[in-house]
Amino acid sequence: MSQNTTRESRPEPLSLRLRLVGTLGAVLLIAMFALYAGVRVYSEEAADRSYDRLLSGAALSIAESLSVSHGKIQTDLPYAALEMLSAAPDDRVFYRVIGPDGLVATGYEDLPAEPAGSGKSVSVSRRAGEARFFDADYRGAEVRFAVLGRQISEPNAAGWVWVQVGQTRLAREALQRELMLGALVPLGFVAILTLVLVWFGTDRALRPLKLIGDELAGRGAVELDPIRTPVPREITPLTGAIDGFMTRLAGNMDTLRMFIAEAAHQLRTPLAALRAQAEIGVDGNAEDAHRSLAAIERNSAKMSRLLDQLLSHATVLHRADVQNSEAFDLIDIVHEAVHETLNLISDANVEIDHAVDAAPMKGDPVLIGESVKNLLHNALRYGCPNKDPISVSVGIEGPEYVVSIADRGPGIPVEQREWVFERFTRGTQSTPGAGLGLNIVRRAVTSHGGSVVLRDGPAGGLIAEIRLPRASQ
Amino acid sequence: MKRRSSMLLLLLAALFVACAPQSDETNATGRRLVIYSTTDLESFQPVLDDYKLLRPDVDIEYVALDAGPLYDRFLDEARRGAATADLLLSSAMDLQVKLVNDGFAASHDSANARALPSWARWRGQALGFTFEPVVMVYNKRLLGIRPPPRSRSELLSALKREPEFWRGRIGTYDAEHSNAGYLLVTQDARQSETFGALLQAMGEVDVQKFDNTAAILDRLAAGQLVAGYNLLGSYARARADQGAPLLLVYPDDYTLAVSRTAVIPAAAPYPQAAHSFLEYLLSIRGQQVLTTRSKLNAVRQEIQGPYAQSGVFNRELGTIRPIALGPGLLVYLDQQKRARFLDTWRRAMSPADIPTAQ
Repeated sequence: MSQNTTRESRPEPLSLRLRLVGTLGAVLLIAMFALYAGVRVYSEEAADRSYDRLLSGAALSIAESLSVSHGKIQTDLPYAALEMLSAAPDDRVFYRVIGPDGLVATGYEDLPAEPAGSGKSVSVSRRAGEARFFDADYRGAEVRFAVLGRQISEPNAAGWVWVQVGQTRLAREALQRELMLGALVPLGFVAILTLVLVWFGTDRALRPLKLIGDELAGRGAVELDPIRTPVPREITPLTGAIDGFMTRLAGNMDTLRMFIAEAAHQLRTPLAALRAQAEIGVDGNAEDAHRSLAAIERNSAKMSRLLDQLLSHATVLHRADVQNSEAFDLIDIVHEAVHETLNLISDANVEIDHAVDAAPMKGDPVLIGESVKNLLHNALRYGCPNKDPISVSVGIEGPEYVVSIADRGPGIPVEQREWVFERFTRGTQSTPGAGLGLNIVRRAVTSHGGSVVLRDGPAGGLIAEIRLPRASQ
Repeated sequence: MKRRSSMLLLLLAALFVACAPQSDETNATGRRLVIYSTTDLESFQPVLDDYKLLRPDVDIEYVALDAGPLYDRFLDEARRGAATADLLLSSAMDLQVKLVNDGFAASHDSANARALPSWARWRGQALGFTFEPVVMVYNKRLLGIRPPPRSRSELLSALKREPEFWRGRIGTYDAEHSNAGYLLVTQDARQSETFGALLQAMGEVDVQKFDNTAAILDRLAAGQLVAGYNLLGSYARARADQGAPLLLVYPDDYTLAVSRTAVIPAAAPYPQAAHSFLEYLLSIRGQQVLTTRSKLNAVRQEIQGPYAQSGVFNRELGTIRPIALGPGLLVYLDQQKRARFLDTWRRAMSPADIPTAQ
């Protein structure tokens, strides 16, 4: 149900095939319209040209039959003149002959005259035997006319005789339709074929994607190797992205696995101790029981600290992987961390000092805060056996902010300073601690592009420094 | 084809329904299907009677006219906008073609119309419904032992050989007064190189000129004429079948065939009735009645019998040349062409009357 509604509210994006066919179809449609317009003009001209030849042939054969008798134009209308126009079988035929006197010698007297502009005033310059054509409405139909002039120079009848032959346009229109169909039908066929090819070609073109999908679907849950299917160049960005994603996923899983192993390992030892203490308490007398309870209380406190650390470790690991980035002020974060630590350990003695008023930067404030807290815990636990004050300061050195936490404790021998950053290691002292702290701090700080440094204080004790780039991400 | 024709029937039916209120109203005022025809009523009555069986609701007014007057009367009425005929049936194919060409005709399209041979229809507006070979007819008794001339050239030599035998005893159409005669003689002039010589020879033996086939046949049967030239075969056959001593010859060189042509005027007052009647006339049933009862040769090739086209073809002696409906027929209607042609014709037919000088 809920799946249904999501599908409705977010429509599936249009399929590639539909996009391709749609775009191509639109382009083809426009092309077809352009072609239609062109072919229309062309076919009309072609149809007119072929039938105009018949029309002028008819006019010519009538003109050739002209003679003058008693000063009058005589037409011996040749049978062929009208018969040849039967090439257009259903078209009606009209004709007339106009003498030099402007009177109709024979034929249809009411034929429309040639429109002005192509008039007879310029006719003298025209060569004889060349017909002119025009369209006009006559007796309720559109008629194509040819007009042909012939010069007569008889003593009593001199001048131009005009032969006008007309024919309705049915055959021309039929030929024009035929020409248009002949041109457009194959084109339409090609267009449809193209669309069909694209429709089915999409499957072929997208086959590598299907192969990649098959390979991924066939893999086990932890097979995070790069994709082996060979793919065309166009698809390598996708496989590259998938491969990168898989690498990150593999790293995450490694981290998680390690964390679980660490947690199990760390919890097993104190639990075993607790059980041993409890057994002693159950089996022994009241005094033993009281001692056992005290030991159990101590060990429980240690375990709860350890759990805190594991959780903070998990948080740091997670956040370092996720890489949150927001703007914050480093000084605020350091203050907060100090206050939270002081709330937990009431008898601590911490001095804060900062050389700058504001230290704006970008990054994950929680990670930085946890790191500061961790170092402060370490300092309070190992670095102040005589309740000496711990001093925390924030300063700027070149491109870096430096948060330093200085104690008055015994310090860490130089040869061990790198080693203490490993997980589950601890200094030589036998003070209780889980050994996760410095490792967490290093991961958090390096994920911000910074570093953690341990060095001796000028007056003894240890100084732990967090160095963070000011233009941090 | 079958589906199309049934579609057309549906269409026609729809047309009738659509026009029903109009026809009801006019039927009340005595509306009639008016036919102008060049076929005499006696010949055509069986067709009208048979149609009356199919459509008893349609009253028909049949007006028999000669081809020229029919054309003139229709044109006059059409130009004045007066009430005119719903259907024109004329043997003057050229005049019918001219009516179509000049835009006076309505189209009649149907499977039956399309079944006509191509020469018998033009634009779906001029439709030939008969097929009538043009024959030479001899009086067998008067001819005696002389072999009947079987072609124009044989007739020409016969006339040359024995002018006194033929003098005043050969008859043909008066091309000047008969439109059918004019059509036939112009077609002869177009088809035959030697036709001028034949005209000349006929003129020299005092050819008799008549306005119609029936008049020539009367005189042939009565023994006043030996030969008739360019007669309508259907009439001659009917007369011979009635017992007249007539011999029909389909000329060997070529045999013209004319077709009575139907045109429905665009301005027909009662067009749906005209279409319905014409459809009947072109149908197998109408053609059958035309052939068997009216003794006119049917145009549809499906019709069998001595008066049918197939019957003519079976006994055919000459080459049949049907006159085709089309704009070619307009040529001899041209004013100047007609005047020139008739001038030549007159001069050939009556050499004595007209001085040879221009």
